[in-house]
Formats: sequence, C-alpha cells, structure tokens
Amino acid sequence: MSGFIRFIIRRTISIVPMVLLIVLINFFIIHLAPGNPAQIISGLEQPSREVIKALEHRYGLDKPLVVQLGIYFKNALKGDLGYSYIYSEPVIDLIKERIGATLLLTLTSAILAFVSGTFLAAWSSRYKKGILDSILSILSYVLYAMPSFWLALILILIFSSNLRWFPTAGMFNVRLSLHGFARFGDILYHLFLPVLTLTLIQIPVYFRVTRSSIFQVSRDEYILTMTAAGLERKKIFNKYVLKNAILPSVTIFGLTLGYAITGAALVEIVFAWPGMGRLMLDAVFKRDYNLLLGIYFVLAVCICIAILLTDIFYAILDPRIRYK
Amino acid sequence: MEVQTEVIVTRRKGKNIIKFWHNYRQSLYGLIGFVILLLFIVVAVFAPIISPYDPHAMKGEVLLSPSISHPMGTDHLGRDVFSRIVYGTRVSLSVGFIAAGLSAIIGIFIGSFSGYYGGIVDEIVDKIVDTFLMIPAFFLILIIVAIFGNSIFYIMLVIGLTTWPQNARLMRAQALSLRERTFIMVARATGESSIRILFTHIIPNGVYPVLANTALQMGGAILTEAALSFLGLGDPNLVSWGKMIYQARPYMTFAWWTVVFPGIFIVLAVVSFSFIGDGLQYAFNPKLSVKQKEVSA
Amino acid sequence: MLNMPFMRLKKVDISYKLENASVKAVRSFSCDIEKGDIVGIVGESGSGKSTLALGIMRLLPPNALLSAEIMSFDGKNILNLNQDELRRIRWKEISIVFQKAMNALSPVHKIFTQMYDVITAHSSDIPKGRAYKMLTELFGKINLPSKVLNMYPHELSGGMMQRVMIAMSLIHNPKMIIFDEVTTALDVITQGQLLDEIKRLVKEFGLTAIIITHDIGVVNEVCNKVAVMYAGELLEYGRVKDVIFSPLHPYTKALVKSHPDLRIGNELIKGIPGSLPDLTYPSKGCIFYPRCDVRLDLCKDVKPKISVLGDHIVKCHRIQG
Repeated sequence: MSGFIRFIIRRTISIVPMVLLIVLINFFIIHLAPGNPAQIISGLEQPSREVIKALEHRYGLDKPLVVQLGIYFKNALKGDLGYSYIYSEPVIDLIKERIGATLLLTLTSAILAFVSGTFLAAWSSRYKKGILDSILSILSYVLYAMPSFWLALILILIFSSNLRWFPTAGMFNVRLSLHGFARFGDILYHLFLPVLTLTLIQIPVYFRVTRSSIFQVSRDEYILTMTAAGLERKKIFNKYVLKNAILPSVTIFGLTLGYAITGAALVEIVFAWPGMGRLMLDAVFKRDYNLLLGIYFVLAVCICIAILLTDIFYAILDPRIRYK
Repeated sequence: MEVQTEVIVTRRKGKNIIKFWHNYRQSLYGLIGFVILLLFIVVAVFAPIISPYDPHAMKGEVLLSPSISHPMGTDHLGRDVFSRIVYGTRVSLSVGFIAAGLSAIIGIFIGSFSGYYGGIVDEIVDKIVDTFLMIPAFFLILIIVAIFGNSIFYIMLVIGLTTWPQNARLMRAQALSLRERTFIMVARATGESSIRILFTHIIPNGVYPVLANTALQMGGAILTEAALSFLGLGDPNLVSWGKMIYQARPYMTFAWWTVVFPGIFIVLAVVSFSFIGDGLQYAFNPKLSVKQKEVSA
Repeated sequence: MLNMPFMRLKKVDISYKLENASVKAVRSFSCDIEKGDIVGIVGESGSGKSTLALGIMRLLPPNALLSAEIMSFDGKNILNLNQDELRRIRWKEISIVFQKAMNALSPVHKIFTQMYDVITAHSSDIPKGRAYKMLTELFGKINLPSKVLNMYPHELSGGMMQRVMIAMSLIHNPKMIIFDEVTTALDVITQGQLLDEIKRLVKEFGLTAIIITHDIGVVNEVCNKVAVMYAGELLEYGRVKDVIFSPLHPYTKALVKSHPDLRIGNELIKGIPGSLPDLTYPSKGCIFYPRCDVRLDLCKDVKPKISVLGDHIVKCHRIQG
C-alpha cells in the first residue's frame, strides 16, 4: 500500500506546474490587455488615483515584472483573485456562490454519460456490424457534432414548449418555497433537461472509447486463456473483458470533464441555471476581465483536482499503475 | 534490407496518391463526409448565385414559416433564413480550414522539434501540452476574444493558437519513434543536418495522424465559432450559423425554423469533418485494427 | 475404435481467410500420439506449429478454417463438437500453456480470482476455502509459494508466470497438455529448470504432452518423439533418437546441423539459406524444394508421398519406404 500512497503524492505534485502555468497565462493576459492592470484588478471603470495607488502597492504593480508575477502567484494561490467591477465584490466570493450549481450539473451528467456510454458500447459490441451497431455508431457521430446550446434549445422546444413536461429555466421554483424532500424533488425536476443535454453530448466519447477498447481486449492473450480453460463466454465478457475494457474510459473521464464544463457553461445560459455560465456571460458583456480570468482559474483548478481524483480511482482499478 | 524499403516508401509519392484514395474509399463514412464537404464548398463558393435573397435584406415579412418562396422561413427582421444559411457556410468553412490548419502547422513544428531533439525542452513542451489538453481551450478563447476583439480574423487566430497541443502530442510521438528507426539513424550517420532530417524524413513520414486529427479539429473549430457567436462574441459584420441561433432565440417558441435549420447545418458540417477524419485514418493506416492491437500490447 | 491411438490427427488442413487471399497455414498434417508420449513439434516461426496447436484446441480466430479427415482423442471424435461440448473438453481433457505467459492472465485480477474461475468453470460447487487449499497444494508441487495466489500477474517474473500457467493447466487433471513455446522468452537457466519440471510433471500426473518449439535442443532434452514441420507440412516424424541422431529428411539434417549442441564432432554450424515460401499459393511439388541442397528434378512438381519406415515417417523423394 505504500506504493499507492507514493503514487498519490507523486500525482499531486505533478499538477502543481499545471496550476502555475494557468496563473502565468492569466498574468500575461492582464498585462497584454488594453488598459492599466490596476484598473482591471480594481474592477472599476474609472478608479480614483488613491485606489490605483493602493492596488498598485497591494499587488506590487509598481515593482519589476518578475516581482509582480511572484505576488500574483501568491495572491492567486491564496484565493485572492481581485474584484469584479460589475458586482463590486471579490471575484472569489462570486464564484463560491455559484460553483456548486455548476459542479452539480457537470458531475451528474459526466457520471451518467460514463455509465450509459459504457453500457451502450457493451450492448452494441454483441451485435458487431449489425444494424443496432451501425445506428448507435452514426448517432454517436451526430451527437458529438451537436452544439450543446442548440441541443438544449431543441429539447426545450420539444419538452417544455410543446409537451410542457419540464420547466424551461432555473434550478427551483421560486414561487414555491419548498423544503426538505420536496425541494430536492423540485431541483431534480429542474435538473432533468440540462443534465439530459449534457449527458447526450458526452455519451459519444465514452461510447466510442469503450467500444474500440472492448474490441481490442477481446483479442488479448488472456481472453484466449480463459476461453481455452472452458469459461463460459458470458462470464469472460462480463468479468474479464469489461473490467479491462473500461480502463481507457476511466482515464478519459478527467479529460472529458473539461469538455463537459464547457458544455455546462453554455447549457446553463440556455436554462438560466444559476451557475458560473451565467456569471461568465455577464462578465463577457460588461467586459469584466477580472471576473473572467477568475472563472477560468477556478475551473482549471477544479479540472486538475478532478483529473487527480480519476487518476487515483484508476490506480485502484489497475494495480499495474501503482508500481510504475 | 529495412533501410532500403523505407527509403523507397518515402520517395514513391505519385503512386501514393492512388493508393491513398484506394484505402480512403474503404471507409463508407469517409466517402459520405467527402461528398458532403464538396457540396458545402460549392455552396460557399457560389453563395451569391445559390441564395435567393440578399442575406441582409429586411424586405420580407417577419417570422414567416417555411414556404416555397422562403424554404426555411424568415427571421424576426424578415430576412430569408435559407439565404443566411448559405452565406453562413462561408464563415464556418473558412474558420474550419484556417483555424485547424494553423493549429496543424504549429503542432507539427513544435511536436517534431520537441520529439526529435528531446531533453529539457521536450519535457517543458510536454508539460505545457499536458496542461492545455486538460483545461478546455474554449474558456481561454472566450477570454481572449472578449478582451482583444471579435473579428473573424482574431477568432480564427485564437482557435489556432490554443488548439495545437493535440497535434503536437501526436507529432511528438511520431518523432520519438521515427528517430530510433534505422533510416533516420543512417541519415544522421551520413552527416545530414538535423533540420534537413526533420523536414525531409521525420515530418513527411510522421505527419499522417496529425492530418487525420486536423479533420476532426476543423469540425471542432466550427463548433467553437458557433458557441462564441451564440454568446454574442461572433464577428459583428458577418452572418454565421451560431449568430443566427443567438439572434433567433427569443422568438424560438413561435418560430422554430429560425433555430432548428442553422443548427442542422452546424451538425452536418461537423459530422462531415468527423467522417473525413474516419476515412483518413483508414487511408493512412489500412490495418487499423491490427495496429491498434500492437499499440496496446 | 479399438486400435485407435490416444490421439490421431489425419489430414488436418487449416487456412486463414484474408481480404483477397487465403493462407494455407497447415496442410495435410497427420500423426498419431500414444498415451504417455512427449511429442515435440519443431519448426521455424511461420511453420504452422502454433496454428496446429490452436486448431487442436479449436481456439482459432474466426477467419480460420479447419478441416480434417480424423481428429480423435482418447477414443472420442473431437472434430465435430458444438460450443458446449468443446467447452467441456477444454481443460478437463486437454489444456494448453501459451507462449507469452506475461500476457496470459488478466492484468487487473488477482491470480487466485482467475484460478478460482477456472476451477468453477468445470466444477461449480467448490467453495473458495477449499479451492485455496487445493491450489496451495498444487502450487507446492510446482515449487510456487502460495502467496503468489494473492498477487497480480505483473508482480511476477516471466519464469514464475510460466509456472503459474502450468499450475493452471493442471487444475482439472487433464489427460493432455500442449506447451506452446513455453521456454522461448526465458533465459537459459530458467529454461532448463522449467524443462526438468515439465518432464517430472508429465510422469507424476501421468500426462501426454505436446511441446511446440523452434529449438530442436529442447526436443532432445524432454521429448521421446518429434514431428518436424516446415511451411505448414509435416516432413518427418518418429522417435527422437531416430529423427535427431539419424535424420532422413534434408531439412531435418540441416536443422540438426544448425544447432550448436547437436552437431557431430567439430562440424561447422550452418544456417539454412533462403526463407519460407509464400503460403498463399504453396507449390505443387516438395515444399522444401527451393532451399534443398540435394533436390531432384522430380521434386519441383511432384509432391513426395509419405514413406513409413517402421515408426519413422518421412516425406522425401530420396527416401523410399
């Protein structure tokens, strides 16, 4: 087990340069953007001379660039991302209020897509080259090509406007003040369409990876051993093929999460979901650069953490990893 | 033995094109994608002839449902949806080709240099590539476009500048394996310069996976442009499919055609590029399934 | 069926269908194996010997086609079995140990889990505890510590994994085991140990064995009979002491000469010039004709018949039975 702990420590250390690189990109954007960096960080359109002075001192903007970078690093890692000018609040507080809703959407859909994509791949691999397999395969191309926001609009058109089954917007019904289980049910009801949209656009990734992986694993040596030993085909597939074939999907889970968050931001806007997507849109329209950069930084860190967690989960599934 | 055959492979260019097409045809998807793309190119080139109306003209009646005179209806300003879609093809295709092309060029250079020379530079490049692959490029593109301006030129440039790491990763892997091959070692031993080896051997022999990936990235670039336009960050002077959806959204519930048709065309364009990517994989690697097995073993 | 040998293969043909050709990997292979025999099948890579082994076990890939006049084992016809009957024969009657031991078990399951699944495949009512005891005992006989049961394949060395695979092949007390290039990937010392082990086990468990190898030295060390294969055909078959020490076929002679331990006196070690023929269109004549140094004009177009000299079989125009 000590090998396992060493593995976790090593992986954790390896994400540090990534976070630093993101901070570096943000820093450069602030300095390359038109206008004074102090003004951007202040979040004010026309900050007074005193405010600029104070900020320049606080963020070391009067010091050489390298020192500024150091200070920027320190602040970013402490969670100090400056002020948002449209809300006149610290960026980090704004994000904290909304990140929960975004993560709820992203993680729920990612897990659902993983499970259903894998299931569909296993199902269709039994009918290789058959009609079902072809239909699923074409469907996966089409869904992969679908803009998330457009799919969201189409689902609203069908299920909300025409059938009136689901609400078009929001996370809960503001006119009812529900509590406990009823509130939970209300959130699930509002969650349905956004999650469906995001799940559908992610399924193709898992479907295709698992499908080709099942195909490869079925030709691996140990499957031949198990067949030679007289194990039943079903058992070989369910126990040996599937567990080995699922590994690539697990590794891409973390990476796909980045794709999912992008989709989530757009889908949130369509469904007026009170998450970071909405915040991002406001920031874009009102040119609140500092808020934008803050969102980018926080999302990047979230993805790094998610990738770390999937790596650890992977190591639990695949014993070989721990010894590399 | 090995040296000879490999040199021959790099020099037999004319026959390769025929062989390439022969293998490409093996993929039904690849063929369909190719045909769709050809149609799109025709539409883009002859847009003024094909479109029945001026895409900007606000003459017709507002929000007309599809009919013979307006096959895809009109939008909230009375503009013909079909004509706008025809002109939108130009934006989507040029974004696809230019942004993904730029991404391919940058990726090929950085990847082959880093893989061939190795060492500390390679490690740093690898780390940067890793980071870029993990963090979705879309947010970075969004920020840069929001801050520095949203002309179509910027949009293409920024997409190209943020999506190269995938190509670099593929090219790097190729360079790493090629540099250990006998014919490269021979070239090095006979005193060919590194730059020459890179351009005459490594890149021509290893570029194929990047090309297949570039087809996929063209579709990706079209989706990115559409998403930017949907957020109101598209080029203000051009008609694009994403922008049409953005503008039509408030009227969607009583004029479905304004939202549905542009979206169908986005899907069609992106699917055709995915299909082409599929065909290219066959063309470059006819024994795809066999190869994949070797990699996993 | 009274005078039937333990295993009889008669005119076995195996071909692989490719996109626009078919490769005839094994052609008209016939031989009899008696109970207790250790038969070596020797040949270069590409000679069809592993294909033959997979054919006997009926583990060929879907694009392979197998046909034969007779394929019988222990008085049973094993040619026309359905999937279920095959499943029951595999491992209970005949088991096989594969070449690449490192990849022969699932990398993400513990050895015990996989062994236990093999046990329950044929006797479903054995509880885990008893299986564990049984396996510990079995491992002991092959000099494997029982802690191996709780390990993953990648934690073992190549030699250890090969032993694990041998243990696995013995689980259901089969009557015959096929060893497919089991020593190829191992170093000389481990190889020697493993061969001694196999010899001992065959006696102890009363087995009949087929050992597939490209190394005629291995055959000399453990086998009592040897079949020499070349390009999908059987060229010579008989007792090891006859075939190796007085070979009749020019190919066998060359094979023996090319082995450093088997050459006589200080003769130079010689390779065999040329390479394997194209098996998409095998020639009408003797398959060894292009590389043979004592060939006759006749050999080019007429396929030699099998000559039987007691229990020594050879397929060459120069030998008349």
